[in-house]
Amino acid sequence: MDGATFFRPTQNWNGEQVRFMTAGSVDDGKSTLIGRLLLDSKVLMRDQAAGLDGDADEIDLAALTDGLEAERAQGITIDVAYRYFATPRTSFIIADSPGHEQYTRNMVTAASVSDVAVIVIDVARVEQGVLRPQTRRHAAVAALMGLNIIVAVNKMDLVGWSQDRFDEVRGAFNDVAGILNIKNIAFVPVSAKRGENVVHRGGPDWYQGPTLVELLEGAPRKQSLATAPLRLPVQVVLRDGDTRLYAGRIESGAVKPGDKVRVGPGAFAATVAHVRVGGAGVAYAEVGASVAVELSEDRDLAQGGVIADTEVRYARRVVADLCWLDENAWVPGRRYRLRQGALETQALIEEIRFVRDVSNLDNVPSSELKLNDIASVQVAARDPILADAFAELPGTGAFVLFDADTNQTAAAGMIREIVQ
Amino acid sequence: MRLAYDTERGALMSGGALETHASLAAMARLDRLEAEAVYILRELTHYARPALMFSGGKDSAVLLHLALKAFAPAKPPFALLHIDTGHNFPEVLEFRDQRAAEAGLKLVVRGVEESIRRGSVRLASETASRNAAQAVTLLEAQQEFQFDALIGGARRDEEKARAKERVFSHRDAFGAWRPRAQRPELWGLYNRHLAAGENMRIFPLSNWTEADVWAYIAREKLALPALYYTHDRDVVRRDGLLFPITEITPPRADERVERLPVRFRTVGDITCTCPVESFAANAEDVLLETLTASVSERGATRMDDRANAAAMERRKLEGYF
Repeated sequence: MDGATFFRPTQNWNGEQVRFMTAGSVDDGKSTLIGRLLLDSKVLMRDQAAGLDGDADEIDLAALTDGLEAERAQGITIDVAYRYFATPRTSFIIADSPGHEQYTRNMVTAASVSDVAVIVIDVARVEQGVLRPQTRRHAAVAALMGLNIIVAVNKMDLVGWSQDRFDEVRGAFNDVAGILNIKNIAFVPVSAKRGENVVHRGGPDWYQGPTLVELLEGAPRKQSLATAPLRLPVQVVLRDGDTRLYAGRIESGAVKPGDKVRVGPGAFAATVAHVRVGGAGVAYAEVGASVAVELSEDRDLAQGGVIADTEVRYARRVVADLCWLDENAWVPGRRYRLRQGALETQALIEEIRFVRDVSNLDNVPSSELKLNDIASVQVAARDPILADAFAELPGTGAFVLFDADTNQTAAAGMIREIVQ
Repeated sequence: MRLAYDTERGALMSGGALETHASLAAMARLDRLEAEAVYILRELTHYARPALMFSGGKDSAVLLHLALKAFAPAKPPFALLHIDTGHNFPEVLEFRDQRAAEAGLKLVVRGVEESIRRGSVRLASETASRNAAQAVTLLEAQQEFQFDALIGGARRDEEKARAKERVFSHRDAFGAWRPRAQRPELWGLYNRHLAAGENMRIFPLSNWTEADVWAYIAREKLALPALYYTHDRDVVRRDGLLFPITEITPPRADERVERLPVRFRTVGDITCTCPVESFAANAEDVLLETLTASVSERGATRMDDRANAAAMERRKLEGYF
């Protein structure tokens, strides 16, 4: 290939960074789509594109992202791969998530660090308006984790760019989205292999909408949490002589000297004296910043505690949606380690309210939780945890469960309701 | 993410607000990456004996700078560790010692030479690359000092196998990475737990690109070893790369030695690290070159990764970083 083809566009240092994930059923063409995004946005280096010469039908775009020997041998993607590219307007981080069922937990991982989910569907595999179970599962996870969704209807060239087939997929997905209460969805017909409607325009006359990249550039961002209530979990207490500095990352809201706060879990009133970033004083810092805060008063606050706004509430019992991620199924009565913010405590799943059956998206009663299950549960914690709903405060409305014996990450949780 | 520094507060409050706001926005991406790395480094207080891998290279220089920021005004609660292949550029080692002393942190150096003397490493030849042998020496150092967490400057944009690694990468007692058994990593709620004998590798720069690193070096005015910037050096052209000529890497009989203006994009073992032609004299110049480069960092400079497509994956399975 001509070297000039791979001249990188100027990166956008001023713009937003959009983090998105890709998901879809096995062989629907996720890795090929990412290869196409990298190739056509000209971020690939000559050595990385080596071996891609040849005509469109011969290029193995998936080889760009299927990094591991084991994957190339089996022709599947094992784990989340992170990729970086930029258009003149926006820079992107892609979390490429595998579709193979046993690795669905990796999609949860990818979703947790993404703003947008691109769900790839092979148009030829949607039969009589029915999506494959993995696609439904991925839609359910994206919905659970509050992501906007872009559906890339792939391999459109193989069905002659049939508008009827495209509409059939759109209808089938909208049915699922209705059940899952997903609001922000966009659809785009593409051929990842031939590079049509991915970065460059192509395909049929009947589609005049944006390409996939244009959709991503214009994707509705998660709302800024800068004006939300302050949540600053304390990771470590630093000392400057006799002064104690509470260091952590702001998960929501903003902080400045003079702010009235509550420090928890005791929820004692305090005042912010100084805010430092990297050792230097700042007048203001907001969500995303790693800061060290000095309080005017001497308060009992340690690692795992929280500096929060004055309305903060704590709870010991919450209702949460849970994605089970461990190969070991849940054992009733067993204690797990719960991590929320910088706090680790013990937790007990007291009740499974229902498990979501992804084949028909019904809520069904269940007494067990196993790998890939999505369930609504009631959780009790030994120590008070922040009573934050995931939908409003995703930074602290989320928690994970660890298995105390195997140290495996057992589940991802999202708080929906406060019980007490 | 916005930060208003005290010194800029006046401008923000006065008529200069628009301009200042624009410059703050321009920082947003680096501020975000810095905040994420600081958050990750502060997670290290979970461990009893963490160490930061510090070679004196640019990524580890950035990492050390971030660590100093993360715990300021206190000292970072970890030692610095360097696994010396014995084939390092002297000016890089000088820089390593100087920075460690300035930071006031204990520097532990363990050499592949010692492993060779012990017999735990055997090389095919005296000038063979010692990169693979580093993993052995690393594990030996880890056992000697009972390090339970090792912080590395690796980035996901460097290489295919790295692109799949977690920020908190769990290793068994043999230091081996098991890609199929990686723990799910959700939000920033890292799973730091270890069983006896196991250890964690932590990569705070996971989401940085080569360009981000240079932009940060420029912004923070970080010192680096001089060989990262343009200098005249004796090289030969070998396998499409410029190969540095030193005492331990002599030219082959049929090769013609040239003296060219070059800089290094990565600095590792002399026997497998190659410079690129460049006139870039400072971090801003390098950033510009990086943004218009057409060959990836490791592809342009690392002979060891070119051995075969899965070279890095295999080394990681054996405990390499």
